[in-house]
Amino acid sequence: MGGQACVLYGAAQFSRDTDLVILAEAKNLQRLQAALDELQAVVIAVPPFEQKYLELGLGVHFRCQAPSCAGMRIDVLSKMRGVDNFPELWERRTTVQAEDGEYEVLSLPDLVRAKKTQRAKDWPMITALVEVNYFRNQLAPNPAQIRFWLQELRTPGLLCEVARKHADVARLTVGERPLIAEALANDPAALEKSLAAEERTEREADRAYWLPLRSEIERLRRLRRGSSTEANDP
Amino acid sequence: MIDPEEIVGPEWAEWYRMTPQERWEASARLWADYLALGGSLDPEPDTDSPFFDPEEPGAGPFDGRPGVRVIRRSAV
Repeated sequence: MGGQACVLYGAAQFSRDTDLVILAEAKNLQRLQAALDELQAVVIAVPPFEQKYLELGLGVHFRCQAPSCAGMRIDVLSKMRGVDNFPELWERRTTVQAEDGEYEVLSLPDLVRAKKTQRAKDWPMITALVEVNYFRNQLAPNPAQIRFWLQELRTPGLLCEVARKHADVARLTVGERPLIAEALANDPAALEKSLAAEERTEREADRAYWLPLRSEIERLRRLRRGSSTEANDP
Repeated sequence: MIDPEEIVGPEWAEWYRMTPQERWEASARLWADYLALGGSLDPEPDTDSPFFDPEEPGAGPFDGRPGVRVIRRSAV
């Protein structure tokens, strides 16, 4: 769902790890554990691989040790801020056929929502994800694509272009995204400022969402360090 | 109509125009080159991430060799 999905959708050229979003249910976790065992993947940080931590919204981090993938990181998540639950994500997923098999990835709108985090590096990725989709479909868009661009484009010039070409839909979108009014007014300078403010608001919301979760991560780290210190004591 | 080149330059415009399958294959080639150079499989340190732990040990390079390293630099 992370870097590999961004490669498929065109916003990245390379990813060093694999991020999985999964249904956190006992039976499914057993199946995933069996797959991870084949890769000789071990948990390398807190939290441990347990359903309760996934349900809480924490990610579990693995490193593979099997010769074919030694050193490769796998991160597993089940819940993300601002993103629907797994069954809805699965319903909307994209299936990509590649030479070496089929890949199930988050739908593009879901991936964009998942990327609205406090991390600076996620925001240029969102910009690129929506740009690629716009350039690919701009000549014959469907209504869902037009709505998606008006909701998510982060490139002032393109937002102005979409608002000009699809002014009726743009006017209906102003209520949920006020900066579309600046796109309708063909004012890229104002848009630039409003987009930056929009990003700041989302990053702040993500920081607030993570405050209690960070405390839980810290608590688990202290527990782990305490137990490893005890184990190393003579 | 705005062209991708105007926004992201020619290299990324070419990448934008590929199909997902073409990107997947091109990325796999980059991956092979990266590993051949001894590139690390650890994610880049990301202090913005809620999961960032400065004390977490890294995996080191894929092949255990030193890989690319700086052997000379200015004072800055």
